[in-house]
Amino acid sequence: MTAVSGVGPLRADGARAVVLIAVLLAVSAAVIAAGLTFGTKPLSAEAALAALLRPDGKLDSILVWTLRLPRSLAAFTGGAGLAVSGYLLQTLTRNPLAGPGLTGVSAGAVAPIVACFVFLPALSSVFYPLIGLAGGLSAAAVTFWIARGGNVRPLHLALAGISVSLFLGAITTYILLLSGPQVPSLLFWLSGGFQGRSWPQLLQMLPWVLGGTVLALCCHRVLQIMALSDQAASGMGLDLALWKPLLLIIAALPVAGVAPVAGPVAFVGLATPHIVRLMRPVGPAWSIALNVAMGGLMTVTADLVARSIALPKEIPVGIVTALIGGPIFIYLVQRRNSAFAGEA
Amino acid sequence: MSTVPSRPGAAWQAYLLPLLMALVLLSLALAIFLGVVDLDPSDTLAALLGHGSPEARAIIIEIRLPRILTGMLAGIHFALAGLLLQSITRNPLADPSLMGVSQGAMLAVSGFLVFSVYSHDTGSTTLQELPVQWLPLVGTAGGLAAGGFIYLIAFRRDLGPLRITLCGIAVGAVLHAIGIGLMAGWGSGRLEVLLEWFAGSLYARGWQHALFLAPFTIAGLAILPVIRRPLELLRFDATVARSFGLSYQVQFSVVLLIACALAASAVGVVGPVVFVGLIVPHMARFLAGRHPPLVLPLTIALGAIVMTLADLAGRLVGGAEEIPIGVVTAICGVPLLVALLRKTP
Repeated sequence: MTAVSGVGPLRADGARAVVLIAVLLAVSAAVIAAGLTFGTKPLSAEAALAALLRPDGKLDSILVWTLRLPRSLAAFTGGAGLAVSGYLLQTLTRNPLAGPGLTGVSAGAVAPIVACFVFLPALSSVFYPLIGLAGGLSAAAVTFWIARGGNVRPLHLALAGISVSLFLGAITTYILLLSGPQVPSLLFWLSGGFQGRSWPQLLQMLPWVLGGTVLALCCHRVLQIMALSDQAASGMGLDLALWKPLLLIIAALPVAGVAPVAGPVAFVGLATPHIVRLMRPVGPAWSIALNVAMGGLMTVTADLVARSIALPKEIPVGIVTALIGGPIFIYLVQRRNSAFAGEA
Repeated sequence: MSTVPSRPGAAWQAYLLPLLMALVLLSLALAIFLGVVDLDPSDTLAALLGHGSPEARAIIIEIRLPRILTGMLAGIHFALAGLLLQSITRNPLADPSLMGVSQGAMLAVSGFLVFSVYSHDTGSTTLQELPVQWLPLVGTAGGLAAGGFIYLIAFRRDLGPLRITLCGIAVGAVLHAIGIGLMAGWGSGRLEVLLEWFAGSLYARGWQHALFLAPFTIAGLAILPVIRRPLELLRFDATVARSFGLSYQVQFSVVLLIACALAASAVGVVGPVVFVGLIVPHMARFLAGRHPPLVLPLTIALGAIVMTLADLAGRLVGGAEEIPIGVVTAICGVPLLVALLRKTP
């Protein structure tokens, strides 16, 4: 009886998750399609469709195929990657404040990339994800070391992460001061943006995001056990000394891929998992899938807003995601029965 | 014949305060006498006394002295704000930069500069034509506004220390993202003044900056004796503090307001110098040991010393392209911070 009543809702929840993901993806597709028509040179829906289906090398099809479409896809991929990373970090630490921004991963990925950009201009940008990965991992390791795993006191992790980020931020600003003429472009990148990102950048970050997501999906059973508690997890035979660093690396993979392309896009990694949690997915596998869809949708939308709200100029997508994600974050902190009440 | 047995360790701690005062003067002297321009010590001394070569007088009186004084005042502000915040939030990691005040000032300053560049677009690319003299005021207002906003949203629930900290983190992160984005989106080649300010810098700070800070410093220091007892009691839980007869909410708000005003005015003048507010109170507590009354004066003295020495280091190491003080404090602060965080249970 219990087994039946247990399985029934589970199936239904799985089906619900599929429907939710389908809806989110459909909305994302609609936003991307709408994004094809917006811009400094607006296209009619028919013209955009025609250019999309029959690329002919004229202006319209160049606009669609080399500017708007790859850019939106890049935004989707970037948002998905950041969301997955945030979800992994939050599960790993059981800390609602964990995310690429508040654990220092983003700042750690950005600082060495900026340093390489300024001091080693000869270095190919192909290596930037690797540098970002190394930096992000070291920063996260320092943060977690300082906060002792981060799952004892959630606030401690956030404070440690912010301190690490502040330190790296000071270094980054100093490097910017030394760099002189490259400041504006670097700054735009630092605030997160998909301006001028096309197929090469998309291809550059895709393997990292895909790799991180697929690996996370492979580990979904481990994640499920991790969500309980350290004691329970090791009681079930999970080797924490192996899995914790491994999951941390998996969590840093997407950030390492996204950071060189789009910079640290604020709040996507932090807010998306919380939005997804409101949809009550069953199990980590569905959560990850929903995070991909939701993070992608959020970033595509933010990108569309960022590039069409102040034509012909463009505002960094980081402002928009901060304006969307920030209130969510503040609401989260404000909730009366929030998970961290009385824990710090 | 004193009836109270003197505690062990009291002997050397009695000399601590005079010692630190001497250190303040020493660092002041060092900062005046050392610099990128090699001045003869006797020339410097003469300039201080009102004569000496015009060149030396210009450098000492118009450049070095106001800069050092601004730094000292700002250091006192940061350290005091850090101490107050750490006491009332009962969080050893509280700091103006972690509480959203710095970010509020940053957003206000970048918004103001971007707006002013676009509102009277004279085609100027020079620093002089930007309204930089308004920056301290704008930054202070922004920091206070952010502090007030955090206070309000925390007040809507329960004015707990944890709530305040979390709201500070949340609001700070949002403001930071918007501030950076604003600058990147609309700023132009004139960003460097802003960047320097973001890094926290004492470059080209003059008498007007020191004078801007002085009223805040004096008011802050004058009010300290008044809030001394509430400050002690605010360390306790709300219920415990109330049982001692403390009107918790009022006193909490007052201390928070003082901390915000101190931090915001300092950030407005020198930019967000990280870690001074975080580290200095801990150094003071470490030195004071079992003499809690010493913590407050030690914090003030150490704040001034740390800022002066950090600025001096940045000036001497960087040469003409000086290292912003915020970078110096960040680099020096990290080992201390890590030690601190690891020690905190």
